[in-house]
Amino acid sequence: MSTDDFARNLRVAVARHIGAPGTIHDLQQLTGGANRTTWSFDADVGGPRQRLIMQLSVAVPDDVPHPLAEISPHPTAEEGARLMMAAAKAGVPAPRVRAILETPDGLGPGYITDRVDGETLAPKILREAAFGPARAKMTQQAGEILARIHRIPLAEVPYLHGQTAAEMIDAQRKVVDFYGLHLPAIEWGLRWASDNVPKNARHTVVHGDFRIGNLIVGENDGIRLVLDWEIGQASDPMQDLGWLCVKTWRFGGKLPVGGFGRREDLFAAYEKASGHSVDPAHVRFWEAFGSVKWAAGCLRLGMRGIEEMGIERCAIGRRIEEPLWDFYELLEGRD
Amino acid sequence: MPLSTPNAKVILQAAVKYLEEELLPTLTGYHRFKTRVTINALNTIRREMELRGAQAAAERERLVALLGHEGDVEELSRELAQRIRDGAIALDDPALRTHIRQSLADALAINNPKWFDR
Repeated sequence: MSTDDFARNLRVAVARHIGAPGTIHDLQQLTGGANRTTWSFDADVGGPRQRLIMQLSVAVPDDVPHPLAEISPHPTAEEGARLMMAAAKAGVPAPRVRAILETPDGLGPGYITDRVDGETLAPKILREAAFGPARAKMTQQAGEILARIHRIPLAEVPYLHGQTAAEMIDAQRKVVDFYGLHLPAIEWGLRWASDNVPKNARHTVVHGDFRIGNLIVGENDGIRLVLDWEIGQASDPMQDLGWLCVKTWRFGGKLPVGGFGRREDLFAAYEKASGHSVDPAHVRFWEAFGSVKWAAGCLRLGMRGIEEMGIERCAIGRRIEEPLWDFYELLEGRD
Repeated sequence: MPLSTPNAKVILQAAVKYLEEELLPTLTGYHRFKTRVTINALNTIRREMELRGAQAAAERERLVALLGHEGDVEELSRELAQRIRDGAIALDDPALRTHIRQSLADALAINNPKWFDR
């Protein structure tokens, strides 16, 4: 599609879904990934100019489906948008969906949301003095937001894929086998995870990637928006609490909850908001397994570096020992 | 390795010196980031050349003690991974734990020595 066609299709789509005339200003591509692209723009739709974000899924040629594609099933763009709508309805600060794109729009699968200002970069949020007030609030906010996400009725989002802990362990095992990695440290981690799957897990909507990087943060008001619902799933809700504590996602911050907070404060906020008690050992399983899962992620991304001859992917591949090291540190009580 | 000079390590150092001291200061944005990643990758290769030989010899000794027979380091490590997977060795075996910790520390010393400083 030419740039002109793209701009015209976008204007028509905005006019049709949001309001005429749909005139577009300041169209910028923010990110371009292998699977999707993100665009920022303003639009005249009658009334005040609207500040918008568009996510487009990149059509993947289906003649060579990746053999690992089924291992972590993702919602489609439309399902992701509907999940955000269900989340907003449950009181979660999720992006407000303005349009779900359809075939006649000629832009491919995707959606348009309101654009919210704020910071997503970990070094700023965790280390700049200006974000001190935000850091003081974020742990409680995270507990409350996660409680709301876990209350979204599963019946409203029936398309979410369910994955139990055991199925998730099995999925990482398939990644390791597919690439023929024979690394004692990751085998140890996978077997530890299999031996320690928590019993009595609830089954709820789970965000799946709730951490700094996927949160828009304001200096004084803390978490403004929860982004990146693309691996939303139905699973054990304690997964989200554990993932937020995984050392990789502390980005060098000293405190265990995302680099900014204490576990006991997160758990207390979650318990108060959800009415469900939190078993620290249960969360710790997900924190520990999260490191093993990210190690398998480094393998998967790193092998793509070999396939694509990309230096960044190769560098990610060489990070596999970082989460495994953290995993053993956690098990030995050093975190 | 051929005996040509300068040797590989010196050539790598020269390449990193050029990228870091001359090219990097002229770059911004995407290419600055990507060049930084490339410099880090070349330094990883340099550390691997410096450290891996001695690490592999010590790793092989540990594996021989754990598994009770000789072999090359990669075969032995593969066998250990399989034994762990099959449940043929206890997860809390102290020698196993020590071996895994040391092997991870060795790999981090090559791939990202800063990981210990956090």
